Amino acid sequence: MTPSYNFAFLDEDTKRMLRRALLKAVAIPGYQVPFGSREMPLPYGWGTGGIQVTAALLGRDDILKVIDQGADDTTNAVNIRRFFARVAGVETTEHTVDASLIQTRHRIPETPLREDQILVFQVPEPEPLRTLEPREAETRTLHALADYGLMHVKLYEDIAQYGHIATSYDYPVLVDDRFLTSPSPIPKFDNPKLDRSPALMLFGAGREKRLYAIPPYTKVESLAFDDHPFEIQRWEHRCELCGSAESYLDEVIVDDRGSRMFVCSDTDFCGDRRAEAQA
Amino acid sequence: MMLAAFADPVFDSQRTFRELLQAMARPAAPRRLPVLPPSPAPITPAAMAILLTLCDATTTVWLQQPEQEAVRHLRFHAGLKLTEKPQDADFALITEPASMPPLESFSRGDLRYPDRSASLIVQVDGFRTDSGARFAGPGIRDTQTLAIDGLAEPFWQQRAALSTQLPLGIDLYFVTAQQVVALPRTTRWLES
Ligand SMILES: [Zn+2]
Repeated sequence: MTPSYNFAFLDEDTKRMLRRALLKAVAIPGYQVPFGSREMPLPYGWGTGGIQVTAALLGRDDILKVIDQGADDTTNAVNIRRFFARVAGVETTEHTVDASLIQTRHRIPETPLREDQILVFQVPEPEPLRTLEPREAETRTLHALADYGLMHVKLYEDIAQYGHIATSYDYPVLVDDRFLTSPSPIPKFDNPKLDRSPALMLFGAGREKRLYAIPPYTKVESLAFDDHPFEIQRWEHRCELCGSAESYLDEVIVDDRGSRMFVCSDTDFCGDRRAEAQA
Repeated sequence: MMLAAFADPVFDSQRTFRELLQAMARPAAPRRLPVLPPSPAPITPAAMAILLTLCDATTTVWLQQPEQEAVRHLRFHAGLKLTEKPQDADFALITEPASMPPLESFSRGDLRYPDRSASLIVQVDGFRTDSGARFAGPGIRDTQTLAIDGLAEPFWQQRAALSTQLPLGIDLYFVTAQQVVALPRTTRWLES
């Protein structure tokens, strides 16, 4: 641990500000709480919002896991894990079951989470209506009125054009029957894991200086229509490494001849299954 | 002679915050506060732990009983701003719940910013989880049973009246000697 930093890098005033905002976020599920961001030693896009939330939470007894697109070994995940190992001296892990705190970009682990775990999402754009309405004052008003007709129109235009809802990432959800919320750019495959999760889920957007929460056991509904119900991605393949038919698969190129195969995006889940198969 | 605050400010406030976060995420379920700092009357150590964890020079606090020693202690250790007007408070400390002002005296936020609302810390006599009212809402899997000793009857009527204004509302932390229970605005009191 580098002694010139405060524990977990942030100063205590910033942590207190984030902690107050996090408590309000949990009290108003799905509502975006503005906060005063401070400069972090990483550029935006590297997960500064998630890092600030994690820094406000971390204690000496935490065991931290960081994933990027499901993988523990990408540059982004490794950098964030090293950052907290350095500035907080916390133990880190790649195993979902061993982690007390999991910071993630773009996936929810396949392994079911528990009540004693917290999931922190890095969020690039917290406002689900932003592409439809660029003005913050307007989107605030739409949330105040729970007027989400714009989003329904957008999804219905998808159906008219493509015959189905084309949105496959960052698929909007309604939290506790009240606030339209961005699940962050997770695949819609992960949306059902948000619904009534035993684990608390916190979302941090660094550039937009907003955070929000989905408390445990909270109703999270992916928007849909009676004649076009919500559906998750499915594959004709199984994972070619572990044989899983239930996990989210990535298509990867495995050699210089361009050969492809489908493998689990969650590297810890896939590794565990392979280890079990060998045992 | 001034009493001390947290012995280990960074980690005492971090550990207290994590319990408060879990309390808010799992409403109506008592949790044990890990650190109980010294506190001048009428503020209990449990309430002081929350104030020291969450309040500083950027927060405005209303005290139901602004005793001189308590005021001096909070100003010195937390640097917080005190107000005499309940409606201006980010945090309010209720030390005599039987004679607390009506809940609607406090800020419920506005529709664009429902987070700009008061959080109340209420010192009560005790919790019971084997009898009492049943609660439901976000954070509660089925229902949670809880009785809070020391609250006056109108309190629950006032809180029920506020629930029609969601997402506006007031978030509550009840403390006993060592425990905390949170009731965010979304927690519903079920008819028994
Ligand atoms: Zn696999």
